[in-house]
Amino acid sequence: MSDNTKNDAPPERPLKAYAFDPSQGRNLGNYMTINVRNEALQPGPVGKYLVVIDYDASNDTYYEPVNLDDPAVLLRGGLDPSESDPRFHQQMTYAVASETIRRFEFALGRKAKWGFRGGRRTDPNRYRLRIFPHAMQEANAYYSRDLQGLVFGYFPASETDAGANLPGQTIFACLSHDIIVHETTHALIDGQRRFFMEPTGADTPAFHEGFADIVALFQHFSYKEALLEVIQKTGGLIYRLNVAPEVAPADGGPVIAPELSTENPLVQLARQFGEAMGMRAALRQALGTQPNSKDLEKLFEPHDRGAILVAAVFDAFFSVYVRKTRDLMRIAKAGGATVGPDDLHPDLANRLAKEAAKIAGQFANICIRALDYCPPIDILFGDFLRALITADYDLVPNDRYQYRAAFIEAFRLRGIRPQDVASYSEESLRWCPPEEMKGVTAPVCKGLDFDVFSLPTPAQQKRNAIILSLFGKNNAEALGLRPGIPVQAHSFHPLHRVAPDGGLRVEIVAELMQQTEVHLDPNDQQSEKFTFRGGTTIVLNREGQVRYAIQKSLGKDDDQNERLRRQREYYYAMDAISGLTTYLPPPPLDGRPMNFNLIHRGY
Amino acid sequence: MPDELDSNTIRIRMYRVGFGDCFLVSLPLTGDAGFRHILVDCGVHGKGNIGTMDEVVDNIGTITDKKLAIVIATHAHQDHISGFNPEKFGKFQIGEVWMPWTEDPKDAKAATLKKKHVALAAQLNDHFEAQAFSGARVSKSRAAAAAAVANLVANKTSLQALHSGFGVDARVRFLKAGDSLQSGDVPGLSLKVLGPPTDEKFLAKMDPPAGHSYLRLDGNRVESANQLRPFSSKWEIKPTDSDLQNLRLSEAERKRIKDEVASDSLDGLAFALDKAINNTSVVTLFAFRGQVLLFPGDAQYGNWEAWLQQSDAADILSSVTFLKVAHHGSVNATPKDALEQMSPGKFAAMVSTQSTPWPSIPRGPLMDRLKQQTKNKTIRSDSLAIKDIKAPKGPVVSKLPSGFVKGDFWYDYFIKL
Repeated sequence: MSDNTKNDAPPERPLKAYAFDPSQGRNLGNYMTINVRNEALQPGPVGKYLVVIDYDASNDTYYEPVNLDDPAVLLRGGLDPSESDPRFHQQMTYAVASETIRRFEFALGRKAKWGFRGGRRTDPNRYRLRIFPHAMQEANAYYSRDLQGLVFGYFPASETDAGANLPGQTIFACLSHDIIVHETTHALIDGQRRFFMEPTGADTPAFHEGFADIVALFQHFSYKEALLEVIQKTGGLIYRLNVAPEVAPADGGPVIAPELSTENPLVQLARQFGEAMGMRAALRQALGTQPNSKDLEKLFEPHDRGAILVAAVFDAFFSVYVRKTRDLMRIAKAGGATVGPDDLHPDLANRLAKEAAKIAGQFANICIRALDYCPPIDILFGDFLRALITADYDLVPNDRYQYRAAFIEAFRLRGIRPQDVASYSEESLRWCPPEEMKGVTAPVCKGLDFDVFSLPTPAQQKRNAIILSLFGKNNAEALGLRPGIPVQAHSFHPLHRVAPDGGLRVEIVAELMQQTEVHLDPNDQQSEKFTFRGGTTIVLNREGQVRYAIQKSLGKDDDQNERLRRQREYYYAMDAISGLTTYLPPPPLDGRPMNFNLIHRGY
Repeated sequence: MPDELDSNTIRIRMYRVGFGDCFLVSLPLTGDAGFRHILVDCGVHGKGNIGTMDEVVDNIGTITDKKLAIVIATHAHQDHISGFNPEKFGKFQIGEVWMPWTEDPKDAKAATLKKKHVALAAQLNDHFEAQAFSGARVSKSRAAAAAAVANLVANKTSLQALHSGFGVDARVRFLKAGDSLQSGDVPGLSLKVLGPPTDEKFLAKMDPPAGHSYLRLDGNRVESANQLRPFSSKWEIKPTDSDLQNLRLSEAERKRIKDEVASDSLDGLAFALDKAINNTSVVTLFAFRGQVLLFPGDAQYGNWEAWLQQSDAADILSSVTFLKVAHHGSVNATPKDALEQMSPGKFAAMVSTQSTPWPSIPRGPLMDRLKQQTKNKTIRSDSLAIKDIKAPKGPVVSKLPSGFVKGDFWYDYFIKL
């Protein structure tokens, strides 16, 4: 990605940012430097993937764009953190979003792509994700496919209940590291899985929210300073919700600041924003309580439900962390140390931090890679578990440190049950090739043209789309598609991955989609119609053989069609919960992507 | 079938007021000792008023001999209480006045919530009215939101009258889910209050979203619509500034962004607030000599949800013999679960509704399902044409289902005991 830079240009560009948000002050490693990939930038910044446009719609004004190539800025390693200088805000959103994109590209083994089609031809930024750091005076932030960008708001903190903020102080959503990662992740998922934004069941919007939180949380473990400090203060138990005070308080309770215990910033999200809004209690609840299978049956608000997924993934992560660091703890104890918050040896803390960061990186990669193994539409939490297991198995067949076992156990404890599997064993959770499912020979797709080193040209893309559509049409039965209905190929890309054994894996993943119109009430031909989609994610190997066909079949419009029945139920339920539909004509049930604008407001 | 009141008959009269609710329940006393009357709501929305309210209140006075055992104001919305005119009702003899606990001035939680609701409604109303006055184009969504907010304001007189027991020494009671009452004045009547609940989770839902754009809720008050300038003016640059280069947005795009980020937010807030008030509705279940009458006010999903989760919900629902359809038959006021659990053909339903001011009310599929579940014993107030009154027309009823009788500006439903 250094196409526009000279050969001797450094590979990275240091930029300063808050590790959490301004309310954390300098505590717990809050001032950090992100080394983003160096690329040629114009003022904005405007890079290859991103354009930061500091337009404020509430005040109808622009704020001065930052020039990150200005020597005065370069020499300092980027502007220093500041709440009052909008140019720092632009720098931070650019840096954090770039870092998130890099994470995705690293895990997926290909270039990132956006889910919008690009606006006016004359717009030089039509293929860039637009970031509006101060778009509006409102306590909200969201990804909008329509606006092709991330929209961040600002608002005054509460006068009476401002938490750690000054009453009335302006809170900026764009200075919350977590919120930037979260929204960028929404945009990145949309680029990989276009139909995940269609709410077809309670799990789909919850998945979008939960996944974005997972990526944001794992990012925390890459901040070395913050991590080290938390490890010191928790005695290595980084999953604890609170960190111990610097000095143990006397019997009468704490009297000075160092005696107060504080919340562990690693396991919470967007604290400043949350304190100002009274939100995000769900995550704390999910991570801080005993896992149970009841929550899944009663939580349907996307953030609440998404928190279950987050808790499951983090349970797996912390289980592996504990398992992999037990030897270090034992060594420390053998040396006579009592391992506790007060007296962790700095070397031990360093080693623990290294392990935690490494495992967090691996988990984030597994989760992101699993996106390629998800069905193209209507994702359930159970499908995601199967995708995780399969994605990881493909890359690391022997599971020495039991990552997959940890995932399975954590999901099982939370009542997440994949459909159509015989048991929670790894073998039955893995997606299987079509011949094992249907007893037919796996068809071979010939003639696809992917270049290992560069993005396909439009002509190549078009050709590949035709080949894939035809392939789907001609092998409908074997691939779980309905014969006689047109097949469209979406989001197809090559995957290149280096497995731990050093081998390079090249595969092709594609979505084959079908759709049909059905009535909301199957017994009433007068009732509203909606587009019901079905489809299959196929993973092909280099020879074009189908390795996996991950299916959400269209099926028939009859009583046997469980998925269709569930979708109908969901539409009914949505009607019942939404306050917006009461006074307005019901919006079309489908074809309307999820409105993150409203989801993030919480109603 | 009976078509007049006798000692073995219950009569439920639904008045056609426009967009609003006014139901009079008359229960017989044993041995020809007369009747006891319960008035459930009396109000009409300013934008859906067909002008019958005065006659309605007069008719109530006539047929009850100005004696009401109980007056229930299910919740503080104009379309449920605007008719409680203190002058007219001050001449009645009224036993008790019931309101939801959220109206209780002595309850600290209720008082806080109420202050917020009232202040926010006033702010929104001012804002919407100012916008309408400026002649700006009003979107469909905004019009619907403005009508919802109008429903929340200008209720002061009625509320004062209710709280003061109409100045006629009526006993004022505030009800919450779980209460069960025996009315000494109406022998044989027992009451169960199903909503509104008082738990924290429910309360959280009642809280209008805080920290919203120009209108900001803070503790008990709403702060005015101050525009915040987040940065010192030295950072602001003109759209023509050369620094912007490729960052400049076109006029059309700026408008698009403004529309997207600004518009829904206030409408959404208005709808959320409206829903919150609807969910304060008192939900009463009357049991009288084997009949079970359910009056859910305007309860929307959040209110229903709380008691549908209770273990006795299925028993209650299957025993219902009369349903006042909640919230004028809107989309999210009759949970599918609830309707499906009621016994088909065992109950009758009345819907006080019309398509003005909100064309999406009542909800077609719900009306159809009601007809099926009641085996046709459903009647809509807007199917009634009233002499010399121009009003939105609902579907024409050629033959009234059994038990229903048409009046000058009301429908009666008689239940033989």
